[in-house]
Amino acid sequence: MSQSSQARLPLRASVRLPRFALLALLLLGPAVCVPASLLVGRPAPDFALRSLEGANVRLSEHSGEVVLINFWATWCGPCRQEMPLLDEIYGKYRRAGLVLFSVNLDEEKDLAAAREMAKTLRVSYPVLFDARKEVSRAYQAGTMPLTVLIDREGVVRYVSEGYKVGYETRYTEKLRELLNE
Amino acid sequence: MLRQSFLKTIATLLPLLFAAGLANAQADAAAATTAPLLDSSAPAASAPAGADSFKSLDEEVQALKKEVLDLNRELFVLEEELLFPANTQVAVFVSMDVGEFFALDSVTLKLDDKEVANYLYTEREAQALLKGGVHRVFIGNLKAGEHELIALFTGQGPNQRDYRRGATIKLEKGVGAKYVELKISDKAVKAQPEFIVKEWE
Repeated sequence: MSQSSQARLPLRASVRLPRFALLALLLLGPAVCVPASLLVGRPAPDFALRSLEGANVRLSEHSGEVVLINFWATWCGPCRQEMPLLDEIYGKYRRAGLVLFSVNLDEEKDLAAAREMAKTLRVSYPVLFDARKEVSRAYQAGTMPLTVLIDREGVVRYVSEGYKVGYETRYTEKLRELLNE
Repeated sequence: MLRQSFLKTIATLLPLLFAAGLANAQADAAAATTAPLLDSSAPAASAPAGADSFKSLDEEVQALKKEVLDLNRELFVLEEELLFPANTQVAVFVSMDVGEFFALDSVTLKLDDKEVANYLYTEREAQALLKGGVHRVFIGNLKAGEHELIALFTGQGPNQRDYRRGATIKLEKGVGAKYVELKISDKAVKAQPEFIVKEWE
């Protein structure tokens, strides 16, 4: 008797489960786990946030400039490591047209700690607060810190998730390319 | 979405049209350059023929660009008409007529107890409003009937003090689009800003 003439046996649960999981992932995946790197090549979502100094800052008012956005929080250790290095980059390339925004994602109740941390680190770039998490959702800031580079036409060109020693060299290389465009 | 898919189609076709035009121009130029071999008495004919074909190609490209811009505008209007049909459309605008008593920072709108807009104004945007600009802070759909619109303004009042004012408006939505203007105006008598609500016909 050939295999093809045998009656079909029902699939075991161990075989059904992966198929079900795959289907669920295909259907729900985009809603659950979209990486920020998918933003590359797309127009940067516009936003307006209040800054540490009190003024409101809108991204689209910096069209024509190269913008680096860094998302951070007080509970993020690598963020504390990265911020002074970003300040150095800002100091060096500010005159060449670099705009740097640091977006804090702490909850409303932790904003005082966020302000204190920004003042302690003495960063010279604008620190913005996104307590409503609207901007972090638009930029899919799932991993912290998140660094996004936007070109002069408002298109996201580079996204870096997390921070390790040496990442700042990559940022510098990328932003030099954009500043030279 | 309709506009984006149409623009993608145009972006795909544009290089093809340009390549086709270029191929035609090259064919014309080739024909023009071969002409002197047949007729040695007219060597200068190839240069003006090439320039003419380039000029017509440039004109074609310009015409195509204009067409794309016109189509983009039409699609934008169509998108708004589809998403916000006139019989359910409601739009809220903010304008300012102040300078001395209120520096606008943000506006929050709640429609039937649901937040529908929260807009932060930068200094540049606030200056634009002071110069007579009108900002459409919200556009949406509402069923016919009575609705409540709550507008909350924050800013700096007299003596650089933080200031928050609210205005509650009862909206009667009938057939046709509803346009509401929230005007922030100086009230010199009380040295306070006041919020005037105006419905456009």
